[in-house]
Amino acid sequence: MSEFAIVHRSALAPAPRVASHRIAIIALPEGHVVQVFERAPGADLLAVLADAAGTAPHAVRTAGPGQWFIVGDEPLPRDTFLDLANALGPHAATVDQSHGRVRIRVEGTVVERMLAKGTAIDLDIGAFPVGHSAATLLGHVSVHLTRLDATAFEIMVLRGFASSLWEGLERMSAEFG
Amino acid sequence: MTSYRLDKGGLVNRTMPLSFTFDGRPMQGFEGDTLASALLANGRMLVGRSFKYHRPRGILTAGSAEPNALVTIGRGGRTEPNTRATVQELYEGLEARSQNRWPSLDFDLGTLNGLLSPFLGAGFYYKTFMWPAAFWEKFYEPLIRKAAGLGKASYEADPDAYEKSWAHCDLLVIGAGPAGLAAALTAGRAGARVMLVDEGALPGGSLLFDSATIDGRAATDFVRDTSAELQSMPNVRLMTRTTVFGWYDGNVFGAVERVQKHVRDPQSHLPVERLWRIVARQALLATGAEERPLVFGGNDRPGVMMASAMRTYLNRYGVAPGKAAAIFTSDDSGYGLARDLEAAGVDVVAIVDSRPSAGMDYRGKARLIREAVVCGTKGHRAISAIEVRRDGRVETIAVDALAMAGGFSPIIHLACHRGARPLWSTEEAAFLAPEGLRGLEVAGAAAATAGLAACLAAGAAKAKAILDDLGISCSPAVFAAVDGDEGTPPARPLWSIPGIKDKAFVDFQNDVHLKDLGLAVREGYGHVELAKRYTTSGMATDQGKLSNMNAIGLIAKARGVSPAEVGTTTFRPFYTPVSFGALTGAHAGRHFQPVRKSPLHDWARKHGAIFVESGLWFRSAWFAREGEQSWRESVDREVVNVRQNVGLCDVSTLGKIEIFGRDAAEFLNRVYCNGFLSLPVGKARYGIMLREDGFIYDDGTTSRLGDEHFFMTTTTAYAAGVMNHLEFCAQALWPELDVRLASVTDQWAQMAIAGPKARLVLSKIVDDDISRAAFAYLGAKEVSLCGGRLHGRLFRISFSGELAYELAVPAGYAESIADILMDAGAEHGLQPYGSEALGVLRIEKGHVTHNEINGTVVPSDLGFGRMVSASKPDFIGKAMLAREGLTAADRPRLVGVRPIDPATSFTTGSHILAKDAEATLDNDQGYVTSSAFSPHVGSTIGLALVKHGPERHGEKIVVWNGLKDEYTPAILCDPSFVDPGNEKLHV
Repeated sequence: MSEFAIVHRSALAPAPRVASHRIAIIALPEGHVVQVFERAPGADLLAVLADAAGTAPHAVRTAGPGQWFIVGDEPLPRDTFLDLANALGPHAATVDQSHGRVRIRVEGTVVERMLAKGTAIDLDIGAFPVGHSAATLLGHVSVHLTRLDATAFEIMVLRGFASSLWEGLERMSAEFG
Repeated sequence: MTSYRLDKGGLVNRTMPLSFTFDGRPMQGFEGDTLASALLANGRMLVGRSFKYHRPRGILTAGSAEPNALVTIGRGGRTEPNTRATVQELYEGLEARSQNRWPSLDFDLGTLNGLLSPFLGAGFYYKTFMWPAAFWEKFYEPLIRKAAGLGKASYEADPDAYEKSWAHCDLLVIGAGPAGLAAALTAGRAGARVMLVDEGALPGGSLLFDSATIDGRAATDFVRDTSAELQSMPNVRLMTRTTVFGWYDGNVFGAVERVQKHVRDPQSHLPVERLWRIVARQALLATGAEERPLVFGGNDRPGVMMASAMRTYLNRYGVAPGKAAAIFTSDDSGYGLARDLEAAGVDVVAIVDSRPSAGMDYRGKARLIREAVVCGTKGHRAISAIEVRRDGRVETIAVDALAMAGGFSPIIHLACHRGARPLWSTEEAAFLAPEGLRGLEVAGAAAATAGLAACLAAGAAKAKAILDDLGISCSPAVFAAVDGDEGTPPARPLWSIPGIKDKAFVDFQNDVHLKDLGLAVREGYGHVELAKRYTTSGMATDQGKLSNMNAIGLIAKARGVSPAEVGTTTFRPFYTPVSFGALTGAHAGRHFQPVRKSPLHDWARKHGAIFVESGLWFRSAWFAREGEQSWRESVDREVVNVRQNVGLCDVSTLGKIEIFGRDAAEFLNRVYCNGFLSLPVGKARYGIMLREDGFIYDDGTTSRLGDEHFFMTTTTAYAAGVMNHLEFCAQALWPELDVRLASVTDQWAQMAIAGPKARLVLSKIVDDDISRAAFAYLGAKEVSLCGGRLHGRLFRISFSGELAYELAVPAGYAESIADILMDAGAEHGLQPYGSEALGVLRIEKGHVTHNEINGTVVPSDLGFGRMVSASKPDFIGKAMLAREGLTAADRPRLVGVRPIDPATSFTTGSHILAKDAEATLDNDQGYVTSSAFSPHVGSTIGLALVKHGPERHGEKIVVWNGLKDEYTPAILCDPSFVDPGNEKLHV
């Protein structure tokens, strides 16, 4: 039996954060990301998901027809995930993506201008209100984008692209530094 | 005399002088100048040489249509050739150089071309350089290319940053002149999301040189107040120095913003240019009109200028064109200029009006010559006199500047970028944008509206109509009375002028003159598109902004038809040239594409990995150790270690897809050509996916983790493609199946642990029983690791042909588990191995990859014929797989190949010839798909696709490399060089 401890390694370690008075880019804790696929329409799945997601705001995100992500900053113990999967069992398929997706928060007064350098989506709050999500390209990288409040968005990206996207975000925000 | 700066007037900041150089000569201008206005202020009228005849050329316009005043600015990587001096803003230290001259601008030997001009007419090189034909490519074309041309690009890298951005709005207003400002104000006040974009440094357009007043105040004051109001609105974005260059599908407009083209030292945190894609619900084209030159002899001499340009230099920049100016006009706009020139103290010698009477009352001092034309000019490097023809008599009048006012053509390029054709209006004597364009309206001078008050009203009215359509209520902006509104009625076109002796230029930039167009029509190139290509009229960097209308008029006249019948050439993006830097944006150099990193990237680097780009992934290729002299040495060691002990390879880059659903097994059964319905839970199976045409698309293993839950792996290269393919199958082909797909490539780190000691190493961290009996070949299951601290997935599959496993763990724990494995495996000789060793091991085993699955092979070509299910009712590719060509007996099929002399070698891509056969295409029997040095065999080995290959094991052949003319005697053999009986897999 090995002496080594099993250590979690973040895709964007160590503790990256870029900030100015107008824009901040913050790597969020690699807590949990659960992908949920509706299997049989009819059941009030969203209520079950909302229940599972707890009280965190915007923890349940649309990811396409009949698909959602449940996200949070806390790691999801295996038993909890299995309980959730069992609870959803009849209605939905559940996939743990906690290690496959990395979440980055961008916030500030110029956040829409900064993100407009990468995405073709209209991010005006009238067109993309708080809680709204969309899959889009940010530059050359596919991301899942959610508006958290008037001046903050969360970007979810495949782990393998996280450091490349981070560099891109730094370049996109350079003029606001 | 030359042009000069007036003591007062203009929008330049006389308290802020700027130094610059032209051809090394120091000069001074003011903040607010363009390079052109500053050159004129310094009396520099000759600024360039023409393209073909090297004629002296001056500044013709004050805007983006400039064909003559092209200069090179900057140095090193910032060198920018063909910069229009008329739009380049002056900055401290600007370095400008003239182009297309040698040895100097004032004395250019290229003017000798002018003497040869009788031989250099339209199409001369098509006629002259006909034979010998072989000379064209090697001699004539290089020579012509060298002789022609304008500025030269730099070979140095551009040090500056560029970027792209998107923008969205309800109303995009293109052009911030009177109509554009009025429209933006109307829509802005209504709360609509408005973008007002103008190519100039300042908003205002013609208001910046208009001498009319609004509510008793200068037009420039009106611009300032209106801009301030617009800028105070959060829903309005006013962008200057931004050219909308194209209109595209989806009502997307392309624009380029010159963020730092007007500064000496660009700041590194800002781009120099930004490319915008603007998604507009509606757009309003308020781009104004272009003044037409008049085609008379010597109309290109420095000192000859468009009337509106002369007025711009005078009123906006405080620069007079000379001491004694003449105006040649075919409409009333010439009189407004005369009044302004006289007010500024410039002597207007003559107004030559082609019409019998003017629509405007002129009471100035200039001599008015009606029903007359300017038919020629005189002067060496600048104009010194004009020749005025009236009633057949020619009079010479000394001048040092000449303005030409040939009427206005609405600027409608953008309106025609999506296929609409301009329509000729006899009434307006101009081509207009057609009505009914979806998503775009035209207002102001761009719609042939004349006069300041009328343009303001038209802009406001159009904006209201657009907003009404969008469901945004508003009332049109109302403006105070305009005094001094000229409202010039349209000019009667004056296509041709009698008595011309010297060259009369139609297209200034490409040196196309009057006679060239006549020649084109006579020689059968009278169609406007043919005439363009035959004469090159309208083909230069200015794309004929000034010339096209005159060219059309002259062709129409030569053919005896209306301009409506001639029509225009096609308007295409870009309206003005756009730099490659802006089109590339931020994605240059190492940012050309994103990098995708394995969760074991840093672990591999820690162990000395050399990485190779594989698509977007960086894969560890081999792990160099101290003392190893070459990559081969490292790879050979890694291969031998896997065969003798055990190795660990990062295979996280393989595509991984979870498949859920009641019908998941049926789904896979249709996707793969082999059977998957009967795969038991806890087992993996190798699967082959075909395309609809029967050829193999991809391969990989798929494991059944539950009754309704499968886990598929794909090749690294086709991961995204397979995912798309499966989604298409699930959503479009068989929506009735209950199946859900999730890409989990990034969720799991996957490690191959291969070699005779693999089980010994793994059992130290896997809690479950993985003995031969408990976890046989092709077993697949979730396992507990390190005393239950973590769970992973274990697959007993082998690419190397050894006893092997693939262990998947959540990506965040990958490095930790790899460390633990390396520690646990130390006593068994565990070493990391890279993708190179992985390749050698699979070639030795005879396993295929996309080298073999190259889009031309079917399963039986690779020895998988019996895997293809005969009993399944259907699977993708089944029908087409039965085509006779795909079942032919002489299809190239998989075989091994090795050199007869182990000291010799061959390379992938070489072809197979029968022994003693001549090296011809007819004798080609196949080709080597993969090759490597095999430490196990002790020589190069290869896999090849060869006709009748499997029946020819033992036959001597020749491997022929036609590129290097190498012939290697070799022998065909079983592709399985290692353990052909597959005993090792089952130990």
